[in-house]
Amino acid sequence: MRKYCLILGLCIGVMSACQKNYESVPLGQQATLDDVFNTQDSSGQQAILYLSNCYLEALPSGHNRITGDYLDAASDDAVSSSNTVSAVQMIATGQYTAASPNADDDWAYNYNVIRDCNVFIKYIYRVPLILLLPDGRKAIGALRSEARFLRAFTYYRLLQRYGGVPLVGDTLFSITDNVQLPRNSFSDCVNYIVSECNNIKDSLRTAMGVDAGNYGRITREAAMALKTQTLLLAASPLYNGGNIDGSDPLTGYPSFDATRWQAAAQAAQDIMNLGVFKLTPSFYDAFTTQAIPVGSNPEVILWVQSGASESIETKNSPVGYGSAGGGGQTSPSQALVDAFPMSNGLAITNPASGYNPLNPYDNRDPRLAATIFYNGHLWLNRAVQTYDGGLDKPGGTSAETKTGYYMRKFMGPFESVSSSPPVYSNTIHDFPYCRYAEILLDYAEATNEASGPTIAVYGVLDSLRKRAGIDPGTDGMYGLAAGMDQADMRAAIQNERRIELAFEEHRYWDIRRWKIAAQAYNSSPVQGVDIQQFGTGLTYNRINVLTTAFKDPQMYFYPIPYGEVVKNPQMKQNPNW
Amino acid sequence: MRSPRLPILLLILLLSCRAVLAGGGKPAVSGTVTDNYGHPLAGVLVTVKGQKTATVSGEDGVFHIDAGPGSTLTFQHPRFDFAQVRVRSTEVHIRLNERFLITQQAPIGAALAADTVALPATASDKVNVLYEQASKASFLGSISTVGSHEIGETPASSILYALPGRLAGLDVNQTAGFPSFNSASLTQNNIFLGTFVPNNASGTGPTDNSEFSVTLRGHGQSASQNPIAIVDGVQRELYSIDPRTIESISILKDPLSNIFLGQNSSRGALIITTKEPMSGPTHLDITAESGAQTSLGLPTPLPAYQYAYLLNEALLNDGKPVAYSQADFAAYRNHTDPYGHPDVNWYNTIIKKNPLLSRININAAGGSNIAKYVLNLSYMDQQGMFVSSPSNDFNTNAEIQRYAVDSKIDVNVNKNFEVQLQLFGRLQDATQPGGSNGGTSPAFGNGTSGILSALLSTPNNAYPVYNPNGSFGGNQFYTENLLAMVTASGYEQSHLRDVLTNLNLKYKLDMVTKGLWVNASGNVSVESQTLINRSYQTKVYTMKAAPGSDTAYNGFGSSIAQNNTFGQTAWARYRYFRLSAGYDRTFGASGVSAEIMADQKRQLFNYDLPSQLTNFAGKASYNYQQKYFVEGAANYSGYSRYAPGHQYGFFYAGGLGWDVTRERFFQQLFPWVDHFKMRATYGLTGNANVDNYGYYIWREHFQNVAGTYSIGSSYTSGQVNSWAEDGTNGSQFLPNSNATWEKADKFDGGVDVAFLHNTLLFTGDYYHERYYDVMQQRGDNIAIVGIQYPYENIGKDLYQGAEVSLTYQNHAGNVNYFVTGNASVQQSKVLYMQEQYEQNAWNVRTGRPVGQLFGYQADGLYQSGAAAAAGPTLPGYTPKAGDIKYKDLNGDGIISQFDIAPIGKGRPLIYYGLTLGFEYMGFECSALIQGVTNREELENNAYIYEGFLSQNNQYSQAYQQILGRWIPENAAVATSPRLTAGGNNYNYNPGYPSYVPSSYLNHNGDYWRLKTLSIAYNLPYSLLRRAKIGGIKIFGSAQNLFTHEAFKGIDPEVSLPSYPLQRVLNLGINLKF
Repeated sequence: MRKYCLILGLCIGVMSACQKNYESVPLGQQATLDDVFNTQDSSGQQAILYLSNCYLEALPSGHNRITGDYLDAASDDAVSSSNTVSAVQMIATGQYTAASPNADDDWAYNYNVIRDCNVFIKYIYRVPLILLLPDGRKAIGALRSEARFLRAFTYYRLLQRYGGVPLVGDTLFSITDNVQLPRNSFSDCVNYIVSECNNIKDSLRTAMGVDAGNYGRITREAAMALKTQTLLLAASPLYNGGNIDGSDPLTGYPSFDATRWQAAAQAAQDIMNLGVFKLTPSFYDAFTTQAIPVGSNPEVILWVQSGASESIETKNSPVGYGSAGGGGQTSPSQALVDAFPMSNGLAITNPASGYNPLNPYDNRDPRLAATIFYNGHLWLNRAVQTYDGGLDKPGGTSAETKTGYYMRKFMGPFESVSSSPPVYSNTIHDFPYCRYAEILLDYAEATNEASGPTIAVYGVLDSLRKRAGIDPGTDGMYGLAAGMDQADMRAAIQNERRIELAFEEHRYWDIRRWKIAAQAYNSSPVQGVDIQQFGTGLTYNRINVLTTAFKDPQMYFYPIPYGEVVKNPQMKQNPNW
Repeated sequence: MRSPRLPILLLILLLSCRAVLAGGGKPAVSGTVTDNYGHPLAGVLVTVKGQKTATVSGEDGVFHIDAGPGSTLTFQHPRFDFAQVRVRSTEVHIRLNERFLITQQAPIGAALAADTVALPATASDKVNVLYEQASKASFLGSISTVGSHEIGETPASSILYALPGRLAGLDVNQTAGFPSFNSASLTQNNIFLGTFVPNNASGTGPTDNSEFSVTLRGHGQSASQNPIAIVDGVQRELYSIDPRTIESISILKDPLSNIFLGQNSSRGALIITTKEPMSGPTHLDITAESGAQTSLGLPTPLPAYQYAYLLNEALLNDGKPVAYSQADFAAYRNHTDPYGHPDVNWYNTIIKKNPLLSRININAAGGSNIAKYVLNLSYMDQQGMFVSSPSNDFNTNAEIQRYAVDSKIDVNVNKNFEVQLQLFGRLQDATQPGGSNGGTSPAFGNGTSGILSALLSTPNNAYPVYNPNGSFGGNQFYTENLLAMVTASGYEQSHLRDVLTNLNLKYKLDMVTKGLWVNASGNVSVESQTLINRSYQTKVYTMKAAPGSDTAYNGFGSSIAQNNTFGQTAWARYRYFRLSAGYDRTFGASGVSAEIMADQKRQLFNYDLPSQLTNFAGKASYNYQQKYFVEGAANYSGYSRYAPGHQYGFFYAGGLGWDVTRERFFQQLFPWVDHFKMRATYGLTGNANVDNYGYYIWREHFQNVAGTYSIGSSYTSGQVNSWAEDGTNGSQFLPNSNATWEKADKFDGGVDVAFLHNTLLFTGDYYHERYYDVMQQRGDNIAIVGIQYPYENIGKDLYQGAEVSLTYQNHAGNVNYFVTGNASVQQSKVLYMQEQYEQNAWNVRTGRPVGQLFGYQADGLYQSGAAAAAGPTLPGYTPKAGDIKYKDLNGDGIISQFDIAPIGKGRPLIYYGLTLGFEYMGFECSALIQGVTNREELENNAYIYEGFLSQNNQYSQAYQQILGRWIPENAAVATSPRLTAGGNNYNYNPGYPSYVPSSYLNHNGDYWRLKTLSIAYNLPYSLLRRAKIGGIKIFGSAQNLFTHEAFKGIDPEVSLPSYPLQRVLNLGINLKF
């Protein structure tokens, strides 16, 4: 008997001994706060890696962002070429509700980004980081400010979509916290973003003080740009005097105040006064070269690091280029094409412009060729054929342009390439969230609204048109009418903004903040051109491509997701949703 | 311990008395009785038909009986079929055939012969319960068992194929016709830096069951609620075992008999017992069989001209320009331009007609009273469904080859000490074609699954198989050729290795006190799975024939050289040991038994820390006169993946039983009832499924995530991984330190009845299982928190239902026949789910069945544009004639979330199986019919039902199902909405972007199958006896021979792109020595 007790005892002994072979909680891939925000790690390696994830989440590249399409394809500038009902088409035709959100409606995602930034903001001071900026300041402050920028930028994106949203500050909620928060007013949100930009501005790296290893980090100038964008948004008609819900503080200000335009103009002026940024000599280079001081691009202020690839070309260029690739994803609208003036700067509707409807693409603003593929546009050593039955619009079952145009912008200079067969090569495709050209247009718009069409406003438009390659003309006015009143100038600026910033996620928001979305979507269907070839001649007929719809005024704001309103009695839904 | 007895046994003992050798001068007949192996069979009751003369065969199988020529001898044994022979000489040699069902049956003739012979007491029925055997008489739980014949005769690669319809309460649903292939690496390898991120298996080890979902009593909603598989006393999820190596499979359903599983006791146990050692001279059993497989339920693709015509119709419906001209139709119809206008039936092109499934099993057993053994060798080769190319001198078709060895040795070291040793080894080599290999358009994924997805979606007119120059056809939209994916893409091989060793020691301590025993058992088991990838990719070409010039070929896709990579895909080590001590004794009329047990199961998967389940349990039972039974059990059980301090819980169960047949009044009132037992159990059980919600979810942590924002002007500099809080990006959850196991209050009550001399057996069970602390996400999971709320112990669900099984077996003359059927009915109800406010009653989920389908209720199709214009709308969409009309339940004119209501009837699910068969003079036949009623089926396979989906700038394949589409001419009989191209969310996914089905797509999913049919012929014993061969059996069997489904079209269980269900027509031979 004793023998068996011994065996039994031995077994139990073995059993307890075995348990000591492994740690009780996972190390390694499940790191604790102390591993990531290490109180011993003076190089802050892991914490900086954490921050890079915040960048990844907070700065989505706008290229083909909405399930393969550009957001602008949901505006009056373009439609998706997809042969299915694309997500952008569903936005443009108003197919979304609070329970079936549109593809750009990313409420939960944005609050996730805010939380992730807050983790960094809260814990980074645990790390005894000794890294220094090139100017000798400690880098830890800059890094924390970068996270605060990313958070502010995310709030800006929420503000554009929903109006006032709950501001959670630096709080990291836990499972037991009550998160039934009310929405902050539109004004609170604007003030919060602006004050964040002001507060972090000076601790960030300067645009010229970025070294190659830190290229792509948020700079002081990016913070100033976000401030400008926010103030311009706040001064815009939708919120400033055009509140769709009377005096509802969630959807805008109760009344108009011209000083908001002044504030926006001043913020833009502050950036212009820095003297750091210039327009690139060639419009093309603004999208395919790296920013100063690392690269030669003095124009781009805030961008998404997307790197070099052929993806924009293979996804978006015309469909007829066979093995070189070409998905023809975006079909720009006739209205966008018509918005480009002639190379003399006169609008095509101007009888003096020299516009020939039988040769519609000749002698146009060079930005047209840089932005849009039209029939006869040179690409990969051959003319683009978007006439009916042409190589780039062959008919049949595959997706192809619906409008007779393809998007050209952002692509490398592959008009003529030496290789045979012609193919694409890697090109820088950083997505610009803010370029100096936009700051200039912001300035022009805000100044025109605040003080009317001053010399400075004219000067801004001249500089953009000059860079575009428009003939200054004998009067040096680049086709602009002299002595425009405020409304004429407003139209000129809006048109300039449309063509200069096409496909950069501006038009979609601009028509909303200008409160002209209802007109843009509802006044006429999106049009394209049907080109027929007879012998060597071509005929051009405008065709309707997509009937868009916009519920006025409720669609000026996205609905708060239905679940958020149901689960949180404090959460007020946007008007009419 | 006094062995408990069945009433049958009692009957025999009561009625039998000493054998009397009747005189009368009749000549004596003598002979031998043998079993299937030709080995002597003792204990056979031999009678002369119509007389009281009887005898019993001895240990050597020999009997002597007085019977004249012309009289008929009958032979009866509890485990063997009835036999009778006419006496022609003084010698009779007979071989008895083992019963098909394992239910034993006392010889009916015993009563007649009772006055003349004493039958030896046969071993009473035992049932295989957790870790041991129990007497059926005292077992209070709910169990269903299926025996070796029913399992073994299923022509299939794994034992799960034999279970649908066999075990009451167990719902075995097939989801694929072939095991899928684990080709995911254990690590996410970073190609730039060579660093890796371990993939946490999070509690789910390598599975060898990718073809079935197994649920017990309808409870499949909680994660990990499938029954625990226990193979020969050890918890191992081993299903891919040859059916012929199985002795029996039982399912334990009630709380009491599962309570030793502790934190897993809610799940039930599937007790798999492989063939056991047999004493006596060597028994040798050899089976070789081979079957031809056929893929079932494949959809019928439209020929190219029909496809083209209907696509035009769809495009016109959408207001888009048509894609095909009259000339195109003609070319497709007449096949005049096979390269420019191809019409390829891909199903005929890449599917092999009759791939083989071959198996060889050798089973040897024997030994003495001191030591006995069994050795099982099995080999299986299952070919896949794809064609091969003669130009390859290697195999590219999917294939599984398995070699398994199972050996068990039982040694009685001395009269008190038993040692059992089991060694099980399995090698399984699987091949699949390389398939789509890095191709970008359309990206299908690799291997078999990629090929089947491509098969489902590629239209007949996409591209020709070959070009005139012999190259593979393709174009810029289809950069990979389907046939090339099958035969010219190389192959991948997976190698699975399993070793399982089992040692069981039992010592009787009668010398300490009578009835005391101790038991120790230990098990180590390892599994390793590796992958060799030798896939490659070939380019495809489009012929470009310009008039008057040379034919040119444009190449698309990429030519990828053959890979040669090797990697580990799964690794697992299981360690289990158990110590137990027990006491069984009878004091007068009272039987007492008690047991204490401690066990621990430790699993190590891949990179995970071990997970450990530890139980300290005990049980005690008491019976009075084998008439009244009471039993109680408790378990203090802990699981290591819960937060410290939250790991251990207390589980308990109890049971009562009453064998009414032992009551004198009952015997007087119902003398024709042989057995009637009532039993009931109740318990608190657990389901520790925390691993399904993440790895150490109680712990606040940061996780390494792949991908990062590239800071730096070179974009690739720096690390490629970054950190995210509490999980990986997109699936970050707040830690839940309070996470605990799901619990269930379970009740099971049942009766076991036997009538008509035990020929008719009935078992019925009712269960009521109330689950609580079910892991769910909270209803008010507000997104502002910035992270997902974790799964918490919130839900309460009720499951109830009933199971019945009825078995009748008897003989008419030499015809032995049986019928056994079982049926289960189950219903569930959500009692609580922290649902948020719903303004309409029809939106409310609470109170509905668990898993109730919700969606829009359809009211047919709009028959006119006017009706469509007047109907409620989905925002931004204008319905047209031929679109589905949805009910606007709240009457606001808009189809929105407020109109989502239960669709489908939510009736209790009933599933059933019926096995029947007979044996006559060596000729055997049996069949299994299996079916489900009150089932509903959502036709959500858009490739088949909708057609023309947008696919890489093209439109996908369409199938015959769309021929019934709405057009004005056949508006009244249309079976699907008007055609659209490129996907129509209004008709097929009205809740976009979240998937919300509609009742239009929900159909009656009832079906029944002739699941198994088998016919066999045993060569007469008279021929074989002199050759010293026990038996030769020639047999044919079939699997999935016929299916009746309420909703015609594709298979009710499996549809592409899952690997199709296989019909197997199997032939084989069995030798016994």
